[in-house]
Amino acid sequence: MKRDKQISQLAKKLVVLSKDSEGIITGSTVDQVLSGLKQVQPRRYLTLLKCYLEHVRREIALQTAEVSAPSALSEEALKAIEQHYSTIYGRSIRARSITEESLIAGVRVRIGDDLYDASIAGQLSRLAHQVN
Amino acid sequence: MKIRTAALLITLLSPALLFAAAPQEAAATEGVIADIAGKFGVTWPTLIAQIVNFILVAAVLYKFAVKPIAATLEERQQKIAEGLQYAEEMKAQLAQAERERAEKVKEAAAQAQRILSESREQSKEMIEQKTQEAAAQAESIIRKASEATELERQKMLSEVRQEVARLVVATTGKVLSRDLSDSEKATFSEAAAKELASSQN
Repeated sequence: MKRDKQISQLAKKLVVLSKDSEGIITGSTVDQVLSGLKQVQPRRYLTLLKCYLEHVRREIALQTAEVSAPSALSEEALKAIEQHYSTIYGRSIRARSITEESLIAGVRVRIGDDLYDASIAGQLSRLAHQVN
Repeated sequence: MKIRTAALLITLLSPALLFAAAPQEAAATEGVIADIAGKFGVTWPTLIAQIVNFILVAAVLYKFAVKPIAATLEERQQKIAEGLQYAEEMKAQLAQAERERAEKVKEAAAQAQRILSESREQSKEMIEQKTQEAAAQAESIIRKASEATELERQKMLSEVRQEVARLVVATTGKVLSRDLSDSEKATFSEAAAKELASSQN
């Protein structure tokens, strides 16, 4: 139990090392960290890698805004969303466009566990919920 | 009892007394008697012996027959008298018991009447109370049934409302999805994205 906690703390430190100067996890920094780990080969290497992967995924999810829309949005709109939510969360957030035709029209933004819905499907769903 | 005994002795001893009570006459008529006695074969020693014999027999009979019989008779008569007295007492007690029984029957009848009257009153009160309870229970059942009906109606209305809302939303979604052109959807999406980007949260 104590050893798992130590591994988790070490994985968090590795995640911090994986960020670039802007606080964003990039492929190159992750490669550097992994190569360093491969050279050192710490105890319980596989467990540490799994924990590191989990933390990296969580950090990427917090740094990524999944922007869903029935059709691809313009670069200008994505930039505006990135800038807006970076300001709100106080960290650099990158937008990733996802096509989802079930939304009918509008956009839905998911950042980690937070959801911002401005789609027609979402409005209709909320309307039905209010009527009930 | 004593009188009877005396009469019996007189009857038995009367011949001897007859001869003993008249010495002068006997002397006067001694010749005649002696003559007659001679004719009948009576002699003085034989007569005296018979008298003594008779007295002895009488004494023995009195001692062993008359006296026990008289005692038995007296005892029996006493018993009969006691029995009669007992019968009288029993009769009196029976009459007293009959009177007491009649009084008790009368008292029991009065008590039974009183108990019957009280029972009637209690049954009347109980019937009235049960009637009121039944009415209250019936009213409660009706009220609960009414409430249950109202709840069921509200539930049905809610279900209908939910179903209508679901159908409206589904139909609206399908209509919008079908009727909106791609350009309109793109325009709306861009506008929504800008709105999100300009919102405060």
